[in-house]
Amino acid sequence: MDLSALAVQVLAGLTYGMLLFMISVGLSVIFGLMGIVNLAHGVFFVLGAYIAFSVLGGGAGFLIALVVAMVAMAVLGVLVERLLLFRSYGDELGQVLLTFGLAFIIADVIKMIWGNRLQSLPTPSLLDFSVSVGGITFPVYRLVVVLVGCLLALLLWYLESRTRIGAIIRAGVDDREMVAALGINVTLVFAGVFAFGAALAGLGGVLGGPVLGMYPDMGFEILVLSLIVVVLGGLGTWKGAFVGGVLVGLVEIFGQAYFPSLSLVIVFLLMAGVLLVRPAGLFGRSPAS
Amino acid sequence: MSLLSVEGLGKSFDGLRVLRDVSFAVQPGQRHVIIGPNGAGKTTVFKCIIGLLSADSGSITVDGRDVTGLPAHARVSLGMACTFQKTSLFWRLTVEENLHLALLARKPYRFRLWRPLPWHADLRREARELLEEWGLWSRRDHRVGELSYGEQRMLEIVLALASGPRILLLDEPTSGMSPAETARAASLIRELPRSVALLIIEHDMDVVFSVAEHITVLHHGEVFLSGPPERVRGDERVREIYFSGGARPHA
Amino acid sequence: MTRATGTRVPWPGVAALALLVLLLPLALPAFGVGIATEIYVMAIFAMSLGLIIGYAGLVSLGHAAFFGAGAYTVALLGERVSNTYVLVAAAVAVAALLACVSGALFFRSTGAYFLMLTLAFAQVLFAAAFQAESVTGGSDGMGVSVAPDLGFGEISGELGLYYLMGGSFLLCYVLLRLFVSSPAGRVVRGIMENELRMRALGYNTFSYKLFAYTLAGGVAGFAGALYSYFNLYVTPDLLGWVFSGQALIMVIVGGTGTLLGPAVGAAFFIVVRNYVSFYTEYWALIMGLIFIFFVLLGRGGIVHLLQAGWRRLLAARAPRRPREGRSAAGSAKERAP
Repeated sequence: MDLSALAVQVLAGLTYGMLLFMISVGLSVIFGLMGIVNLAHGVFFVLGAYIAFSVLGGGAGFLIALVVAMVAMAVLGVLVERLLLFRSYGDELGQVLLTFGLAFIIADVIKMIWGNRLQSLPTPSLLDFSVSVGGITFPVYRLVVVLVGCLLALLLWYLESRTRIGAIIRAGVDDREMVAALGINVTLVFAGVFAFGAALAGLGGVLGGPVLGMYPDMGFEILVLSLIVVVLGGLGTWKGAFVGGVLVGLVEIFGQAYFPSLSLVIVFLLMAGVLLVRPAGLFGRSPAS
Repeated sequence: MSLLSVEGLGKSFDGLRVLRDVSFAVQPGQRHVIIGPNGAGKTTVFKCIIGLLSADSGSITVDGRDVTGLPAHARVSLGMACTFQKTSLFWRLTVEENLHLALLARKPYRFRLWRPLPWHADLRREARELLEEWGLWSRRDHRVGELSYGEQRMLEIVLALASGPRILLLDEPTSGMSPAETARAASLIRELPRSVALLIIEHDMDVVFSVAEHITVLHHGEVFLSGPPERVRGDERVREIYFSGGARPHA
Repeated sequence: MTRATGTRVPWPGVAALALLVLLLPLALPAFGVGIATEIYVMAIFAMSLGLIIGYAGLVSLGHAAFFGAGAYTVALLGERVSNTYVLVAAAVAVAALLACVSGALFFRSTGAYFLMLTLAFAQVLFAAAFQAESVTGGSDGMGVSVAPDLGFGEISGELGLYYLMGGSFLLCYVLLRLFVSSPAGRVVRGIMENELRMRALGYNTFSYKLFAYTLAGGVAGFAGALYSYFNLYVTPDLLGWVFSGQALIMVIVGGTGTLLGPAVGAAFFIVVRNYVSFYTEYWALIMGLIFIFFVLLGRGGIVHLLQAGWRRLLAARAPRRPREGRSAAGSAKERAP
């Protein structure tokens, strides 16, 4: 096996995995904390990419576009949570249906504004080169994406284990009612977590723009993969999203290389296999009876 | 031979040991009460016996038959029935419909795909008999959600009896009841047929001593004492367990 | 005898429905017959999803997997076999088998996990059909080379297909109705109401749920087979979650908790889609908004609104009694799921 090609594949897999991590962590924590399966999460990913597309088209730099997209997604997240979802807390089916309807609507809005064609974001010129390590050439942009993913993981680790908010969220995932009973402003926490998750999805979308491209229906497809990541990694845990994301990213990329017509099937089998051994996912907690 | 025999039951959650070597036996027709302070593991024992939790170690035997590996629904057909601490009924259905479902569970036609349910006359007759016996016939058309708390608890006991069990497990049957409802519930429990053994988890000491023929005291997941009521009542240590760190109760 | 919460097969209603199916072509314009035919097929699909959501309490976002499996079975097998009964039976069998296997695997997981797993499952089948180009024609899909033949000649005209699909719809409705009011059907509903209590009463809830799920899968496969005969062309998106989602919209908008609700929802969906797409290509947006409206309304779908309106009408016409107004509102609240 050609080492050079293998290494590049691994990098591609890691890159994809980091992008999945970014979108999945929001999905996982939102579900663990609020019990909402946010089916609109995929469109947050894609919408972020499209907004960056427009900002870039207006002449701004990549970084600015990234920030704008993330802020826009955070705002959208808060709006969705406050206006739409807060009415139906306790009605989990209703919430799922609402996010589902929203996903449909936003996908069509994207078509309206940006058209149906496949687009992509230009790789930021600063990072648009390759580097040679040990005789193998790696595109620097992808290395940066992996780096950003690791930094994000570090940030989340710090937030979870060293800060009060991390403790609150962990407690909330374990027992929602108890947290509310402790007098913590649950509304603020929920809105904040939702916004943060949406922003991260947007981050993933923008960073993924040069690598994956975007099209209006992409939100659905990336959602399915991130659902698999969430189930595989375990609900409510960012660690699960990280490990799950990397695993799925690698398997998907290698699957596409060697068994192109079966890559998703292989990913699915991987998930099923994990579930058989650990029904709550790799890092998930088994629900108390 | 004991009707229900629990031996060496052990259970841990995420590394925390909740039950350790719990053993006791319930004789046919016996009124056996489990008491113990909060966190002693009473509800865990309960769930292990009815099959909602699988024990890590030990065995549970009904009439000499090992049921430790059996799922909950299979234990019912061996004569086990239960009510829960948090009332668990079919809220949107009427009292009568609740009972129909309970009775249907033992009928051979429960798998049938034709002949709508109300056509089965024996079901309706048995439901009526049970409801009348327990004074709930007048409420038969009401949705369970409309019943008073005491009536709901009673209905749950009726549902459990519908399967004709040999042993009935009650998890804190009087919790949340007013003194009047509690007294009524206690007397109803005393009037339950002798063909049914009772294994009751209870907190209210008045109820415990008015019903129990045998008491098992659980503490920190272990059996502290198991014997007739007089022995338990007279044991200083039991009182200490209950009120350790707190004021002594009035005698 | 207690009222049976209205679940016995309402034969007068079925007769009225049959009459409607019979006479509808007379009242419709030329293109209407084709639309009505499509509605019957979708109504069967939607009813099968409505069965598991509204009677078994299982929310699935991957129901199209069974529909598409049925459709592709007819398309693929139809290249070698032409007997309609064999093809339809095969479609139902394949779909039911898929449902049984996936249900057995996924029921170990609770509500939200189950939802996500069914979604992923449907997408996997979609991806498989999409990528297996040599067999299924890939994203282009494949044509169906057979026509339905019940034993007295090929049915290929528009009217013939209409009556075939309409008759199938009636048949499915009656079958599902019988199931729902049977003892087994009552058990399934009990499981939806309180699975813990059902297990404590001695029911093997897993096998009952699995049976309902397999039945629904089979019916969806039947609808898929009919679709193949109707559309003469199958594509991978018949398997994916977008299509599953459309069925879900039909069920919710039409109304859960009743068998005909989803059928009404299917009619609503198709009519609105055709109407709106006449003016704009963004009919999904409109549909999404309508859908969200119904979800927020929270009082069930169209069928429940109609029922409530009907009851109000009856109450208004009844001779005056002091509690009259309250009873109409009270019973409307009782009926809503």
